[in-house]
Amino acid sequence: MSLPVTDPIPEGDPLTLAPRSRDGLLIFGATIVAIVTFLAVFGPHIGPYNPTLTTPRVAVPPPKFTEIPSTLIGWINGTLPHAPHWMGTDASGYDVFSRVIAAPRTDLTIALAANALSLTIGVFLGLIAGYFRNWGTEVLMRVSDVMQSFPVFISAMVLVALAGRSTTNIIIALAFVYVPIYVRLTRAEVLSQTSRGFVEAARALGQPEIKIALRHVLPNSMTPALIQSSVTIGFAILLTAGLSFVGAGVRPPTPEWGLMISTGAGAIILGEWWPSVFPGIAISLTVFGFAVLGNALERRYEAAQ
Amino acid sequence: MLLRSISRRLLIGLIQLLGLTIAVFFLIRLLPADPVSRLVGMNASEQAYAQAQAQLGLDKPVLEQLALYLGLMPGTQPGLLQGSLGISWVTNSPVTSEIAAYLPVTLELITLAFLLAFVVAVPVGMLSALNPGGRADKGVFVYSLFAGSQPEFWWGLLFVYVFFFQLGVAPAPLGRLSPMTSPPEWVTGFILIDTLIAGQPAKFVEALHHLMMPVFTLGFVLSGPIIKMVRQNMVRALQSDFVLYANCVGLPRKRVARYALRAAMAPSMTLIGILYGFMLSGAVLVESVFSLGGIGQYAIRSVLAFDYPAIQGVVLVITAISLLVYLALDLIHAAIDPRIAH
Amino acid sequence: MTRLRTFASVAVTSALALTAGSGWAQEILILAEDVPAGLNYDGPSAAIPASQQGMVTLLEPLVGYAEGPVAESGVRMPDFNTFEGRLAESWSFDEDTLTWTFNLRQGVVGCDGATFDADDVLYTFARAKSVSGAAPIGWFLSNVGSIDGFGPEVFGDDPEAKELGDSIVKIDDYTVQIRQSEPNALFLPVLTIFGLLIFDKETMEANATEDDPWSHDYVNNVGAPGFGAYCLDRWTKDEEISYVANPNYFAGAPDIERVTVRRVPQSSNRVVVLRSGQADLVTGLTPREFDSLRGMDGFTVAGIRGNENMFLHMNFDVPPFDNVTLRQAIAHAIPFEQIIANGYFGQATQWEGLVPSGYPGFAPTAQFSYDPDRARELLAEAGFPGGEGLDPAVFALSYVSEKESTLGPIVNIIQSALREVGIPASLDPIPQTQYGDRQLVKRDLPFAINDQEKPIGVDAGYATQLFFVSPENGGLNNMVNYRNPDLDAMWAEARVDPDPDSRNTTLLAIQEMLAADVAWLPIVEYNTQWAHKSAIEGLRWYPDNSIRYVDLTIAE
Repeated sequence: MSLPVTDPIPEGDPLTLAPRSRDGLLIFGATIVAIVTFLAVFGPHIGPYNPTLTTPRVAVPPPKFTEIPSTLIGWINGTLPHAPHWMGTDASGYDVFSRVIAAPRTDLTIALAANALSLTIGVFLGLIAGYFRNWGTEVLMRVSDVMQSFPVFISAMVLVALAGRSTTNIIIALAFVYVPIYVRLTRAEVLSQTSRGFVEAARALGQPEIKIALRHVLPNSMTPALIQSSVTIGFAILLTAGLSFVGAGVRPPTPEWGLMISTGAGAIILGEWWPSVFPGIAISLTVFGFAVLGNALERRYEAAQ
Repeated sequence: MLLRSISRRLLIGLIQLLGLTIAVFFLIRLLPADPVSRLVGMNASEQAYAQAQAQLGLDKPVLEQLALYLGLMPGTQPGLLQGSLGISWVTNSPVTSEIAAYLPVTLELITLAFLLAFVVAVPVGMLSALNPGGRADKGVFVYSLFAGSQPEFWWGLLFVYVFFFQLGVAPAPLGRLSPMTSPPEWVTGFILIDTLIAGQPAKFVEALHHLMMPVFTLGFVLSGPIIKMVRQNMVRALQSDFVLYANCVGLPRKRVARYALRAAMAPSMTLIGILYGFMLSGAVLVESVFSLGGIGQYAIRSVLAFDYPAIQGVVLVITAISLLVYLALDLIHAAIDPRIAH
Repeated sequence: MTRLRTFASVAVTSALALTAGSGWAQEILILAEDVPAGLNYDGPSAAIPASQQGMVTLLEPLVGYAEGPVAESGVRMPDFNTFEGRLAESWSFDEDTLTWTFNLRQGVVGCDGATFDADDVLYTFARAKSVSGAAPIGWFLSNVGSIDGFGPEVFGDDPEAKELGDSIVKIDDYTVQIRQSEPNALFLPVLTIFGLLIFDKETMEANATEDDPWSHDYVNNVGAPGFGAYCLDRWTKDEEISYVANPNYFAGAPDIERVTVRRVPQSSNRVVVLRSGQADLVTGLTPREFDSLRGMDGFTVAGIRGNENMFLHMNFDVPPFDNVTLRQAIAHAIPFEQIIANGYFGQATQWEGLVPSGYPGFAPTAQFSYDPDRARELLAEAGFPGGEGLDPAVFALSYVSEKESTLGPIVNIIQSALREVGIPASLDPIPQTQYGDRQLVKRDLPFAINDQEKPIGVDAGYATQLFFVSPENGGLNNMVNYRNPDLDAMWAEARVDPDPDSRNTTLLAIQEMLAADVAWLPIVEYNTQWAHKSAIEGLRWYPDNSIRYVDLTIAE
């Protein structure tokens, strides 16, 4: 699942009315996001191995639970021939742990950039579509419909085939998916804003339409899109991973969770679970963390209204 | 009135599809490679290259190629207008028949997954809405957030590892039937239906067994957003004036709940449509984990092989189905909530 | 691991029970990456190995290689120095007129009931010369073998050039003469290749249409009528193909009555089914998967050093790869042993030349050693001390993304090793089609790993002509744009040299030049492997790497 589906929260929802009771979740989400952000900055440097250099040891399983203490002691005493592979090594000899903690830099960069890009374009187009209602904006909405129903994996793969596997292309492919969502959200909000008095008032004062749209309507209509952002970032991580899984993601050996799952997938059937299970847990927790945080923020905002 | 709005929507849809076809047509011709090299193989002389290019029609001017594809040049070859999506360059088979083979696999998978998600989501969402803010509601809420934010392909792999490799209760992830079983005669392409038509209950059970894990995987991640949606719409409906009124006049609780459910389902339809449309190609991840040759797999194979007719066909078909699903669900929405029609 | 073994042994026991109960029906199920997408060697899918496998099963060549020794692994090799008749019974060569006279086998009946004779041979060559298909492979091979009249003029506008002419004539129903335009040792080798297999004229013509007089559509989509060991039974593209034994096969009906090949695209899934006992033989696993099956009870992994190899491709047209010292530096930075151990699980050896080592004319001229210090020295000597001044963009190592599971570990080892000596290597997996386009047509891949060049003509000269002669002088697959006028001149001489000894001397000199320039950087020759139930015996290796099902038997 990498499509964020949102639905406005009904007013007077008890979950909204009692935001305090959800603080546990908020803390959980915030902690995960904080860890991931920390790893995005420092992750590639703090692992025991270089995440993009192979070791000569391939497909080494992680230490068993019972072996952890002795491994730890040996590591501290320096009696081990090499630093332990806490999550094993994969078929190429990469240390899985070093790569799992180095990956947030890739994943988060892509997610943030894709979100910023689609947010900017989407809000702008949504504003136009909602404010100036004519045949041109009608066409815009119909194009947006098509974009939304356009098969995302195909467009991403075509893009990657066109311009190669690169971070930039993945960001563009992701933005392509999320722009229509922002267009819709913003347009709906603009429609409800323009029906309010302040637009009429501004018009009565003789302000030019473009100024009204930018200065008065835009700031008031951005909130839903901004809240949506926190959810989109999490989903963008999922979609990035999904693209790697079908071979349209980042180039190996870039540490990226989806790519790690994908390269480990073939070995799972031979019983080698570690190269794909650990990065999977990382994605699972990260996206959940972003979703929880986004949701908590959304509810706080609703409650504050 | 309704008829007019449907025909208007269909007309817009056709224009959208035409625009899309032309856009995709030019887009794929920007691809950095053409499939000619795959044809010439070990003999890459200039002559052989020209020969292969001519064979694929790539030596003609681009606009002529477009006209041929659209079927605007009668007397040459059938095109889109004549209902032909061209011949695949990989297999030499008509793209329409290939899509007819691959599409039902995906439709069957995602339809079953949506049904599963619904069967779970409606009662769970309703129960949790009946006592909003309660312990169960909170638990359901956390579950729905969790399930909705999971990498389904990873869960698929995990299920394979646990249920097939470790426990041996699930079949190997090898497609819709075991490799030794010959598939039933092709009637609808939906294996559960075709096995029944062919009167082969054993194969029906086998197919069901093979579909179990992929459907469960997809149903699991779909259940997240759907539960959340049902719950929220239900809460909203229960607070609405008409439910208050119905309660005041003393209608039986069951009947009120039914009204509320109906009111709750109506606004969900649009979102379900978007999700379903997304899953048509989004299911490719689960398809590839379980080796189900669905439309997403076909699309990816086509892009990898630079098979122009196949790419065009598959984009067109997926988009067309998405648009039709949106329309159908809007109609259902209107049927449930007659206010919309006006 | 224990669990793995239990799982496998349970599977084996049940499999044995299964086959024992079925009363030895001589049937096998093979799992492959794909089934034929077409059966036409002049058609659009001829370059795909799965399609070639279908062609060699249904069609028979005029001549083939004689049996060679059985290798340690139980796989029989051909004897590349001895040819034997297949559809031809015997032949003679007249050096003065460069004419070959073939006496054809009598009484050979094909799957569609037609009897083989000279008309079938003439039809096959006429079809090749018509260059009417998507990919003129038949013409190409005839051209490589210097058959008179099969020059590039067939692609011109003169319709007469596309007609068979007088270079191939029927003397009587069972005698055919083929004339060469010049002496060329590749004549007999090309006749063994899948692109000149003999069609059954009668059935082909019965399926011709006005628009398609050479029945390309029929062979692309329905069947390939010929005189092979097996007849087509059922064929569903992308799914399954099954063959039944041809009772009238000239060498006697095959042992196994029915062969079914099913498409299971993911290699790990093929392993699972083989282990479960449901399949009899699987092809195309990763070295790692083959390794996991080795030594498992009831299964055999057969492997043989045939003609598969892997090399590093560095494009002379893209600086700094025109710098020979840099090329040598890279050659010393490759950890051959680690690649053999971790990439191929020991089923490979370092490749010490530029043609397959089993081919006639091979010389071990390229003996590079892994020596990172020497690599650093050479790098400095080349003008890039510590990798300074090297553009990372050209060091993106391309490889076929569909082969990720096999090549992934290898390219990762290589990029790590290159970075150790200061070369800014990275990885760039690209789809097979794009790789092929850039390798064969655009020839603009700067830096790549290639493991799919298996010169199907078993001869060092054939490989030279294909890969190393300048593109301008007919080097059809000179992907690295190697241009060496001396080499071109030497090959022009050796190509038409009727004396095998002096030809070999020239070929040796050529291979020495290639190694000195590091035209390719040869890395390993890896074993062609198959995994099968141990009851299956008789596997043989052929230069096209396809199995001949007729060789297989099932032991009781």
